Amino acid sequence: MNNEIDKNESCRSGNCGCGKKEDGFDQTLNKTTDRRNMLKSLTAGLLTGAGLLNSSCSVTASDNKKEKKELEWEEYFKGNYQVMTDKEKEDTVKRLERLYELNNGTHANISSQEAQKDVLYGYAFNISKCQGYMDCVNACVQENNQDRDSQMQYIRIHEHENGQMNFELAEDDYYHEVPAQGHFYMGTQCFHCENPPCVEVCPVKATWKEKDGIVVIDYDWCIGCRYCMAACPYDGRRFNWATPQVPEEEVNEDQHYLGNRLRKKGVMEKCTFCIQRSRSGKNPACVEACPTGARIFGNLLDPNSDIRWVLANKKVFRLKEDLGTEPKFWYFMD
Amino acid sequence: MKLVVLLIMITGLVVSCNNKPNESEEEHHGGHQTLQKKLEAMSVDSISYDVSTEEFFKDLKKVLAEVPDTEFEFYVPERSSMIKSFPCSNCHSKSLDELQKLGEEEMKKAHWNIKLKHADADVMECATCHNENNLDELKTITNKGISINHSYQLCGQCHSTQYKDWQGGAHGKRLGGWTPPRVVNSCVNCHDPHSPAFESKWPARLNTVKLKQQSSD
Repeated sequence: MNNEIDKNESCRSGNCGCGKKEDGFDQTLNKTTDRRNMLKSLTAGLLTGAGLLNSSCSVTASDNKKEKKELEWEEYFKGNYQVMTDKEKEDTVKRLERLYELNNGTHANISSQEAQKDVLYGYAFNISKCQGYMDCVNACVQENNQDRDSQMQYIRIHEHENGQMNFELAEDDYYHEVPAQGHFYMGTQCFHCENPPCVEVCPVKATWKEKDGIVVIDYDWCIGCRYCMAACPYDGRRFNWATPQVPEEEVNEDQHYLGNRLRKKGVMEKCTFCIQRSRSGKNPACVEACPTGARIFGNLLDPNSDIRWVLANKKVFRLKEDLGTEPKFWYFMD
Repeated sequence: MKLVVLLIMITGLVVSCNNKPNESEEEHHGGHQTLQKKLEAMSVDSISYDVSTEEFFKDLKKVLAEVPDTEFEFYVPERSSMIKSFPCSNCHSKSLDELQKLGEEEMKKAHWNIKLKHADADVMECATCHNENNLDELKTITNKGISINHSYQLCGQCHSTQYKDWQGGAHGKRLGGWTPPRVVNSCVNCHDPHSPAFESKWPARLNTVKLKQQSSD
């Protein structure tokens, strides 16, 4: 009796060695296993299942979701913008526009317009004219789709006390009528250096200087190490600590791949001299918005431009000249 | 043994201390080259731009600025069409003296809200700028007529520094884009000639959230 019971048990455990074969049902569905094997097969199964659900091959997901996954897959494998061919640039722009449409329902125009020939952008800021109105900051935030939650601003307006220009003593968050007695105002932003330290230190070459002098970032190549932020002597670069939030009705839909297209969490961004505007002949938003005309923008290679006249006839200076960064942003006074 | 090591070290130092000729010296000179010279070397004489500023305001009426003794070529917005009841002579047939002699009561009826806050009474009164006999025009200090579309010539008589800056591009607001042709606001487009100073006002935004990245505080 005992032997029989024992035999049955050991047969079931598969360790009997008695030669009795179990039928197919028993072999697959009643198979015993140990903990290690169980965990292995369970994980493999779950992963495959999740992958299929999430992928474009899923049978349960909607068409939109599948298309999104497919576009995101292709986007993941694209290269650095600097080495893309024109066709690849067109393709990525189309993919991004389509993704935007799928995600938000509205249409965005993302341009990949190249630098114009014989153009090198320069910028001049008139300290006597700036009254601290901050119309430029508002226009910049609106134009470039910056994160509203953290109040990201490319432009900073500094309120200095008369008699010195120490930025450590300047007030950046003033809220009183302007201009305040005994103070003057200066605005800073990315200065688009000719010798940019941020470009030198980027470990992945996600930021570079374009032919028309604008220093740009490929948001899909940036790894978010913030080394460029440490290298910039002018506090020109901003980091997205969280996914940027822009209210839908305020999104500017005229975008450029290297400019104001919507960024994601963990990438750098900065002033691009409104690349989506300046390459089409318009002034950057800050220049346009300034009511006093304190901001001047133009082509340094054109001897008849405003910026060249200012450089030739006014007493101009740049910040931190001794660092040799050669910024293309000059300050002057009346 | 020690001698050999010493010799190798000295040779190494001497070799590496050789001044590299030409290349770095030129670069060094390039760094010392003034900005003006650099820009002049890089300048391109006739640049063809893809877009003209005119694309950005097709319905703005503009006039070529009359700045005869300079080489500047730029436009200002036309003024006469912007003044509601221009030409003034449609209503005003009397000369300026006669209008002023009419007395306080009569003066209050026309342009009663124009308070002259421009320099002081020793310098400015209506007849300083307005032509007494032709109210459609302004006049220079030497009594030469100035068209209402070119009123900047009048302002430039006293404010010559700002006038020069404005002609060159350092003063005032440019309209449209940065490509030629150059269209700028005239003086009166920003400064009310009867009360030209700007009042102080509140800034356009309040920064309620201090950015984590700001270095101060």
